[in-house]
Amino acid sequence: MALPKRIIKETERLMSEPVPGISAVPHEDNLRYFDVTIDGPASSPYEGGKFRAELFLPDDYPMTPPKIRFLTKIYHPNIDKLGRICLDVLKSNWSPALQIRTILLSIQALLGAPNPDDPLANDVAQRWKENEPAAIQTAREWTKTHAMA
Amino acid sequence: MAAKVPRNFRLLEELEKGEKGLGAGESILAEDVLQNLTMRQEACSYGLADGDDLMMSNWNGTILGPPHSVHENRIYSVNIHCDSDYPDKPPVLQFVSKVNLPCVDARNGKVDPSKLPCLANWKRDYTMETVLIELRRYMALPQHKKLPQPPEGTTF
Repeated sequence: MALPKRIIKETERLMSEPVPGISAVPHEDNLRYFDVTIDGPASSPYEGGKFRAELFLPDDYPMTPPKIRFLTKIYHPNIDKLGRICLDVLKSNWSPALQIRTILLSIQALLGAPNPDDPLANDVAQRWKENEPAAIQTAREWTKTHAMA
Repeated sequence: MAAKVPRNFRLLEELEKGEKGLGAGESILAEDVLQNLTMRQEACSYGLADGDDLMMSNWNGTILGPPHSVHENRIYSVNIHCDSDYPDKPPVLQFVSKVNLPCVDARNGKVDPSKLPCLANWKRDYTMETVLIELRRYMALPQHKKLPQPPEGTTF
C-alpha cells in the first residue's frame, strides 16, 4: 500500500526534528498508526507524567483529522474514561493545514489548560468547577499512579 | 487498498455506532443496552460491559428474537469478547440467556465458531453487529425457528 507523500514527510520530520516532550513513532506494520507519548506540561497537575496515546491517520487524512486517544488513565475534564479527547481542532476546527505535530502540541496545551466549560467527562468537569483545588489534587494523584512508571 | 484501521480505533467506531441515538460522547453501558433496544425496536444492540476498560475487550450484546419463530419477543443476552487480535480474528461469543440452537453449546452457551458462517469465514471488515445479525438470522432459519426452547428468562 503506497503511503501518501504528505504522511511520509510528516513522519520524517517528526523523527528528525522531534517536538520537545512529545514522541510519535509509527508501527512497522501500519505506517498510519503511531505510538505517542506526551509529557505532562510543567506547572500543571500532569507535570512529571508520561502519557501514552495512540494516533491513526484515516484514509482521507488530511481532509479529515487524525484519530487520537490516550492509553494512560488521566483525570481531565476534556478526556473521557476511554481516553477520547474533546478538542475543537480534532473535530469541527480541523484544517488540512494542521499536522500531526500541531495536533499533539494542542493536546499537550490542553493538558496545561483544562476547559471544564466544554467537557467530555461530565463528572470530572463538574468537580473541576465546584472544587478546583480538589480536582487538581486528584489529577496529580492519578498522574503519580498511572503516568509515572 | 484502504488504510488498515487498528483494533482500538475499530472498536471505538463500533462503540460510537452502537451508541447512536444516545447522548453523544456518553459511553453506553450494559444497563443502557436493553433500554436502547426496546426504545429503538432494533433487532440487535451492543455496548461496552465496562465503561472504564481502556482495552474495550468485553461487550454485552442483545438480540431481539426474530418474528414468526419461537424466539419472537424474547430478548437474548450475549457476552462478546474481543481479544487483542480482533478484528483480524473473530470475537468470542457466549449466550447468557438460555437458548436451544445447534451453534450454541447447551452446557455453557458458548457459540461454536465452526457452525456460524460469519465466524467460520471471518473477514476483517465484519463487526460485532455482523455477528449479532447473523445469529438472529440463524434463529429464524426454517430448521431452527421451531426448536423447543428453555423457559424465557433462564440463564446459563
